[in-house]
Amino acid sequence: MIPGLVQILLWQGAGELASHFLLPTIPGPVLGLVFLLAFLVVRGRVPDNLALVSDAFSQHLGLLFVPAATGVILFLPQLREHAWAVILALLGSVLLTVAVTALVLKGLNRKATHE
Amino acid sequence: MSRSLPIHEIWVYLSGSPLLALILTLTAYQIGFFLYIRSNRHPLANPVAIAVLIVAFSLELLDMPYAKYFEGAQFVHFLLGTATVSLAVPIYRGLRELRGRMGPLLLALVSGGLVSIASAVGIARSLGADHAIVGAMVSKSVTAPIAMGVAERLGYSPTLTAVFAVITGILGAVLARFVLDALGVKDWWQRGFAIGVAAHGIGTSRAFSIHPEAGTYASLAMGLHGILGAVAIPLLAGYIPFF
Repeated sequence: MIPGLVQILLWQGAGELASHFLLPTIPGPVLGLVFLLAFLVVRGRVPDNLALVSDAFSQHLGLLFVPAATGVILFLPQLREHAWAVILALLGSVLLTVAVTALVLKGLNRKATHE
Repeated sequence: MSRSLPIHEIWVYLSGSPLLALILTLTAYQIGFFLYIRSNRHPLANPVAIAVLIVAFSLELLDMPYAKYFEGAQFVHFLLGTATVSLAVPIYRGLRELRGRMGPLLLALVSGGLVSIASAVGIARSLGADHAIVGAMVSKSVTAPIAMGVAERLGYSPTLTAVFAVITGILGAVLARFVLDALGVKDWWQRGFAIGVAAHGIGTSRAFSIHPEAGTYASLAMGLHGILGAVAIPLLAGYIPFF
């Protein structure tokens, strides 16, 4: 487990450096993700120790945003004031996104099978 | 007095160290996760939402300011970046499974991603939401750890973004199947991919619990949307008219 964690931290470090010096608009961890992805594609497989750490993280990813999300208590008056805007925006957006994504896939797939 | 003093001392000690915030965070999540499993992984019993409610209620009860809580809980928060990097593994696994369908999937992803931003920002703005709320809508369809990083770089609230992302995930996980049924979308890979684009991690767990193929495609959609969002949203942000 430790070798996997060390690897991930090193990729994160590389991402942070690249973000700081080269691509300031993209968060460091995302660049770290892209680097690690490229490394895996070149390598052709996921090393076991890396898979161990990654699976542990992805199973409980939600835990890690509890501290930040709890900050919502500071925004309660603002959210209450705009409650309808927030609810309708989130609801409308998620329904439209599902619909458009699925329709594009369905449309392209039908075209592909007809040709 | 001699009996209440030690308790008081323990309290002073605990509330001054990160331990209390860490215990609170992990216990609340543990309870949330337990309820989630007990409910047969129902999206409405989302462990993050439950944990946030428990922590918020506890802070109110303990009369502890949020800033003080976060001082301790930041050790959990810090791992978000590390967890983001490790998302490369599921994305890689997904990519390996579906080389032939890449074109249509990318087109669907870009359309879905643009619609998610345009509709959320458009609706929130036309109903008079303020700048902070509209800004937090921009990256809410991207998986929360990446969305928060993107929001932070753009000067929007990572907290509101995380909350909107979690609510989006729950709504998508619960409602997507009605939309897909109404549109007559039957293939599992199409259903899964649409759920993953719209409802990231929470939608993906839901998709996995319904069908493995849907889950794999949802997971891939979530990963690709994360990368695309992180790269494209900062570029697009200059063109999104806010007020």
